[in-house]
Amino acid sequence: MNFNFISPLFLFGFIGITIPILIHLMTRRQKKHLHFSAIHLLLQSKNRSIRQSRPNRKFLLLIRCLGIALLSLAMANPIFSMGGSNNLGTNGPSATVFILDDSYSMGTQTNQKSYYNQAVKTLLDINNSLPTKSIYSVVLGSSPSRVLLNWTTVSEKAKNTLKSSRPTSRTTEIGAAIKKSLLLLEEVPQKNKIIYILTDRDKNGWNEKEFSSIVATKSHKFFIVDFSEMRDGINKAAVEHAEVQQEFLSNNRVIKVKVKTANLSQSKSISKLKVSLWVNDKEQTKESLDIPVNSSIDKEFSFPMQTHNLINGEVRIEDDALLKDNLRFFSYQPDQTIKTLVVDGNPNTVEHRGETFYLERALNPFTSPLSDIQLTLSTLAELPKRNLLDYSVIILCNAYNLPFGYEQELEKFVLRGGALFITLGNQVNSKFYNERLGNILPVFLKSVHQAQKSDEPFRLLIKPSKHPVLKIFKGQTLEEMKSIEFQSVYSVEPRVNSKFTTPIVLSNKLPALIESTVGKGKVILFLSSIDRDWNNFPIQPTFLPWIQRWVKYSANGLDSLIQKNLLVGDPFNWENPPKGNKAFIVAPDGKVIAPHYVDGKITFRNTFTPGVYQLYRNSRTSSSESNTLVPSRLSFGAQSVGAFTVNINPIESSSIKISNKEIRSLLPKANLTFSSGNNKFTLTKTNESIPLFTYFILLLGAMLLLEGWLVRNE
Amino acid sequence: MSKDKGLETDPEVLSRIASLNIHATKLVEGLLSGHHRSRHTGSSVEFADYKDYTPGDEIKHIDWKMVAKTDKHQIKQFEQSTNLKATILLDTSGSMGYLSPNPKTMNKMDYARTLVASLSYLFLKQYDAVGLSLFNESLINHVPPRSKPSHFKHILYELAALSPSGVTKIEDVIQSIVERLHGRGIVIIVSDFLTKESSIEKKLKLLVSRGLEVIIFHILDSDEVSFPFNGDIIFESLEDDPPIELDPVDIRETYQRAIQDQITYYRSHCAKLGIDYIFLETSTPLEQGLTYYLLQRKNLGKL
Repeated sequence: MNFNFISPLFLFGFIGITIPILIHLMTRRQKKHLHFSAIHLLLQSKNRSIRQSRPNRKFLLLIRCLGIALLSLAMANPIFSMGGSNNLGTNGPSATVFILDDSYSMGTQTNQKSYYNQAVKTLLDINNSLPTKSIYSVVLGSSPSRVLLNWTTVSEKAKNTLKSSRPTSRTTEIGAAIKKSLLLLEEVPQKNKIIYILTDRDKNGWNEKEFSSIVATKSHKFFIVDFSEMRDGINKAAVEHAEVQQEFLSNNRVIKVKVKTANLSQSKSISKLKVSLWVNDKEQTKESLDIPVNSSIDKEFSFPMQTHNLINGEVRIEDDALLKDNLRFFSYQPDQTIKTLVVDGNPNTVEHRGETFYLERALNPFTSPLSDIQLTLSTLAELPKRNLLDYSVIILCNAYNLPFGYEQELEKFVLRGGALFITLGNQVNSKFYNERLGNILPVFLKSVHQAQKSDEPFRLLIKPSKHPVLKIFKGQTLEEMKSIEFQSVYSVEPRVNSKFTTPIVLSNKLPALIESTVGKGKVILFLSSIDRDWNNFPIQPTFLPWIQRWVKYSANGLDSLIQKNLLVGDPFNWENPPKGNKAFIVAPDGKVIAPHYVDGKITFRNTFTPGVYQLYRNSRTSSSESNTLVPSRLSFGAQSVGAFTVNINPIESSSIKISNKEIRSLLPKANLTFSSGNNKFTLTKTNESIPLFTYFILLLGAMLLLEGWLVRNE
Repeated sequence: MSKDKGLETDPEVLSRIASLNIHATKLVEGLLSGHHRSRHTGSSVEFADYKDYTPGDEIKHIDWKMVAKTDKHQIKQFEQSTNLKATILLDTSGSMGYLSPNPKTMNKMDYARTLVASLSYLFLKQYDAVGLSLFNESLINHVPPRSKPSHFKHILYELAALSPSGVTKIEDVIQSIVERLHGRGIVIIVSDFLTKESSIEKKLKLLVSRGLEVIIFHILDSDEVSFPFNGDIIFESLEDDPPIELDPVDIRETYQRAIQDQITYYRSHCAKLGIDYIFLETSTPLEQGLTYYLLQRKNLGKL
């Protein structure tokens, strides 16, 4: 059995008992001593007399004192609990670790205060009720968990540290925090070891894998205080994803932003949710969306690109209880060149006989600064030396096979948004393509169809198309394409459950080009050769726009920084930073950071603030090489070399909470108590403890009634 | 002799005697309107002794026969005898020493002293023998009855010298004194009767049965009757009771009823036994009390 107080400061109200006592003493009649003769008669009379005003006054005093004591007790929010475990306090000095969930979902507003603020207040309240000589520590429960306060006694400094803390933009990771707490508890000699988990119980923060290695015994008391039960406002919706694409095919350079917005409610659909797109702090466009219950919808915003500078923007939805997930940042560097890697699978010493001779001239017909396609030629042997992340499009021309294991690199490249254009020819090893490129190619290569010399060559089935690449070929141009002669094409067979389209077919119904989407990228398979071996297309006037459009179409606006959209806490890998320690990163808060180089590369890990991180090449070398967080100034003339965005992980926005039963299964041996933090910052034990506030108030009422009755009768 | 010495040396006692003397004689002289008539006719004045003549002695008392025989002038001394012997029992217990916090009248002890002195003077004036017994839980002093006028001085001395103390035990005292009282006479009991004893009437009956005429003066202070106190008071006993703390307002009515019950009790029982019962509050002028007594006795033919 235990008796504890949530707000023990109110117990100072007991001092108020002195008020009725003082009044009683001040108004008390002076006691006189008198020698009297008939004492035995007085005694008889006293015994007979019913009226006894003196004891009444003392009784009144007692009732008034009790009244004040009851009021103090009630305000101190007493909690009575059965069972052997101590509730809030302990019998002796204790060691308490508070796991303070500082994930962004704790920023949910309720009564103009966030869950986090209420959790901090509860933490301080509990601290005040700890027995003397108790020590405590605070571990932050977001990913990665870390110690905010190491073992300390209740002090002003520690209080100020807690009060000035804010919820972060990270996700919850309770398991790791518990591990850290148990390690901390091992360091101290106190027998009473308590762990408080102050959280909103978002289910994503309770990872089963983390808990499998936690060894909590009965000696550890866990108090899990749920602040999500205080929910007043509702976190209605969240922006889950925002992705930028540039439309290269159109002349007016339209920027497209794909936005995924989710309705987090399990019961209510959202109508007319305002979604707006902001670029460089100006609203570009806005929409109202209707989202069904517990689902998300994609919406594509587009706006014309007006400047050639870096675009920093954000998608905003209207405010709800949790502001952080109503915003998603994006950045984009327009007017970039499409870096294209052309792999020659059949190099020839005679230039015009080379596989890529016509391709190269078609893609870059002028001097390089004028073209938006930047071409890099490579042989198969050179391929492993190339960093595929530097390119947006890879054109594989008549390759026999790939270097060992390179098909996985290609697959990663395509999944991340790269475009792979494969052309065939006499060198192609169809067996290799069918066996190794199964994840990329939607079809099996079967055999080469050759037109007999006596017969007519294969021709394209000419008809107007709505395909973005082909829609410009109409009229005269389309007629010109009729003259293209195909001597050989590969016949194909679809793979099981594969999805692809055939935008171009031959007149004999054989496909000439197959297009498929893999991950974020595109794979285009041209079933003939890209040189003149199998057709005469490369020398046709339509070849140049045709191949350029396919490259631009498939490129999807990828820039050189593939990892441009990160989640909070993800490291940013800068593969080719400016040499000579000239790289600088400007964080969203304006802080200039000189990142640390390792083997000529940069891995920047301090990505805990959502926003756009701008990358600069400074004209001067960084003065501090070792310390990555020392703010320094960008020198005049620093050149922007790109940007990457960091956004919150939308998983934390989910309204799914972990149940008591699930927590018990995660910590099967631990001594668990579940509580809820309500608006009055009281802890009411949901399982075992009984809040006595109401009872004390009722008793106080009874006391006041009795007092009134006594006063009336005196 | 020690008494005489005390009489001469203690100025407080002396002044008290003087005061009592004046008070008593004044009271009695003013009130006495006739001779005392004893119910019992007795012998004449008896010869007591001879004494040498000194100037100032009355010549008629010279025994001329002795002059003739011895040629010495001798004066005849007579002892006046009477059949009436009065014994006054005066309660000197602690309770008699009650002093009111707001004295408006004579205190209880002084009232009793003056009463006893007056009665003694009254008896002696009429040549009746009067004795005085002082008691609390037992007899503490006894002045045997004498009728000599000079006896008054001894009585006055005893009255002046007494100081109230001890517990009232009237029953025991009556039991012990009843053996000493020979023949018929008057027993006057002056007390506040504030005692826990419950069978005083039996002892009074014993006195009456011995042929004694019993007169009771029940004296109480006005405070003891009306209980006029207010506020929180710790009452400390003048005898052996433990102190008691109470608010007088709470018990005033009950107390007043209790004291009236006691007075009624004595009055009714005394009436039954043929005892004269006179209740006197200290606020009652003593003259009034004595007049009432004398008138009552006259009416009854006792004077």
